[in-house]
Amino acid sequence: MSRRWVEQLHSSHPRYEQAAARLHDVLRRAALHELHRRRALLPSLAGPELDDVAQQCAHDAMLNVLARIDDFQGLSRFTTWAYKFVIFEVSSKLARHTWQRLPPSRTDPEWAELPDMAAGVRPGEQAENRERLGVLRNAIEQDLTPRQREVFVAIALNDVPIDVLALQLDSNRNAIYKNLFDARRKLRGCLAGAGYPLTDEEAQA
Amino acid sequence: MMDVRELDELLRAQEGDAGCDAGVPIMDQYVELELRGEDPSERFPGTAIHLRVCPGCRADHDGVLEAARRFGGVEPD
Ligand SMILES: [Zn+2]
Repeated sequence: MSRRWVEQLHSSHPRYEQAAARLHDVLRRAALHELHRRRALLPSLAGPELDDVAQQCAHDAMLNVLARIDDFQGLSRFTTWAYKFVIFEVSSKLARHTWQRLPPSRTDPEWAELPDMAAGVRPGEQAENRERLGVLRNAIEQDLTPRQREVFVAIALNDVPIDVLALQLDSNRNAIYKNLFDARRKLRGCLAGAGYPLTDEEAQA
Repeated sequence: MMDVRELDELLRAQEGDAGCDAGVPIMDQYVELELRGEDPSERFPGTAIHLRVCPGCRADHDGVLEAARRFGGVEPD
């Protein structure tokens, strides 16, 4: 099945037009299904707009598939390989849609107030929790680089989706994830160093 | 109010995490191992760790898995 797809999607093949139309159609259906699956992120998109976005995702994924078809090594079914491209398009278009409608306060570092993580603490009973959160709060303010702080506050504390922040900071998902990972490691280290390890391993280190 | 367990989750940064980019070229193989009932973490341990922590990559993974499951058998003719 995969071999037939690859053969027919070469423009010299007599069945090229039909195969390309068929792939486009299934990519569009996969995109639409995925958009519905992620519907919670898209309260502002109505049905016809979702159809439009699905159409664009299928179109762009199709271009990628055709451009890279000679890279397909047959390590998975061809359709699964192709669906990867359309799902990535859905992610990237949703991120752009969300970013364009995002209130600036969600990611603008000037607005990135640290939430009071010790709020709601019950006196006495949770004194240790309060102290631990105090250490964390200080570490966020003093031990992270400005970039790590910005990324950690936006993603971990303010729930900004990683792809949306990547657009905001003119970066990419992988680089932002690395900032977040490094920030988390540093904060764990600060907590353990101050006597508040989060795991047994950190306690023994 | 966050307790130790919630903080551990908030600060999850596991050794061996392969990062986002490493999952891109193998995502199709990864989901097909799952569809065959095999454990992809044996072959792609770094991505298995990553998918537990990164919501962006997890959403993509779930989407590819769902598409392959639902539209997997489509033929060109
Ligand atoms: Zn990721």
